[in-house]
Amino acid sequence: MKLRDLPSGTHPNLLHPAYASTVERAPRQPPVTLKAAAAELSGPRFDRTLLFPHHDDLTKQTDGEPLGERIIVTGRVLDENGEPVPGTLVEIWQCNAAGRYHHDKDNHEAPLDPHFRGFGRVLTDAQGRYRFTSIKPGSYPWRNHPNAWRPAHIHFSVFGRTMLERLITQMYFPGDPLLGYDPIFNAVPTARARERLISHFDLSVTQPEFALGYHFDIVLRGPEASPAN
Amino acid sequence: MSELLITPSQTIGPFFKDGLRLSNGATLFPESAPGRRIRIGGIVTDSRGEPVPDALLEFWQPDTGGRFGASREGSSAGFGRVQTDGAGRYAIKTILPGQVPASDGRMQAPHILVLVFARGLLRQLLTRVYFEGEASNARDPVLALCGARAGTLVATRGPADADAFTWDVVLQGARETVFFDA
Repeated sequence: MKLRDLPSGTHPNLLHPAYASTVERAPRQPPVTLKAAAAELSGPRFDRTLLFPHHDDLTKQTDGEPLGERIIVTGRVLDENGEPVPGTLVEIWQCNAAGRYHHDKDNHEAPLDPHFRGFGRVLTDAQGRYRFTSIKPGSYPWRNHPNAWRPAHIHFSVFGRTMLERLITQMYFPGDPLLGYDPIFNAVPTARARERLISHFDLSVTQPEFALGYHFDIVLRGPEASPAN
Repeated sequence: MSELLITPSQTIGPFFKDGLRLSNGATLFPESAPGRRIRIGGIVTDSRGEPVPDALLEFWQPDTGGRFGASREGSSAGFGRVQTDGAGRYAIKTILPGQVPASDGRMQAPHILVLVFARGLLRQLLTRVYFEGEASNARDPVLALCGARAGTLVATRGPADADAFTWDVVLQGARETVFFDA
């Protein structure tokens, strides 16, 4: 099996000085190109033993309901050929509605929500679909540059079938005015690619009197078409 | 056929501790797995030589027989995930991997695939860890591509304990680890 070559411009460059911590952490040597072998072209398969109570509903993981706008986030994990990726592990984490993470290194002066821990996981179904219930994260300040604020976002980690498909990314919300200013979002090289990171408000996912719905598909690297096709 | 645009990567950020916690993530194989039990540990550093206390490392390897995900206990055997501690250190317990062939059929030396994620990295880094003392390192086709920097991928054996290896990850600088694209 061989994966399609990764198109240039898919991912941000590693060195992006507008995002300050890349300056000390991005490797400066060019990568060595290797032909993918057995470890690159395989990957772990996880099962339901990894799931915990309310693994897909971040509003139900404590003994009370979190504050904020309830949202449903759903979509499909597909490969670049349009094929679904079933049974793959999707993990998410986010801050609360006030813009505070449940993490000891976040000391932003916004309140913690005792009813919100902010993480979940699912295995995609046979159509590659995932679905989470959560609350809309707030934006938060991060001192990268003066008056720097991250746009509201949910972190996503996806495995795929092989380690070369592995992806960690961030999902943003439509119409967020902070997107134009964010160096992490704008490190993605093209407007078309940046658009892939913005979820779509979806009235068909929205549930009356309950939660707004957002749709976000995730596209991973996929195999080259076999010559027989 | 037109392909879909691949979703771009974004940094993991500093707050992933709960979201990506994997119980027993530092132990890649169950107790019952055959083969030579080894430990690997080291420190992740940045361009200033400062420890990186917020990195996530993932490991993927075959078992002693060169098979991936073949454990009776489940097909994530051979996968590991650890977060560096406050001093930038990580540690895993595993089995020395069996050898598997390269894409052209030539046999590779035993190695573990590693992914590195951290705040300040806009996409993951792909690398490998090999093992000091393995005669097959001299013929490994991928180490040969690394030239003078191949040593950055070879874990050194403990002087006291031949099964305790040290492998540091240098993100940037004079002894920068080799990273790959594939």
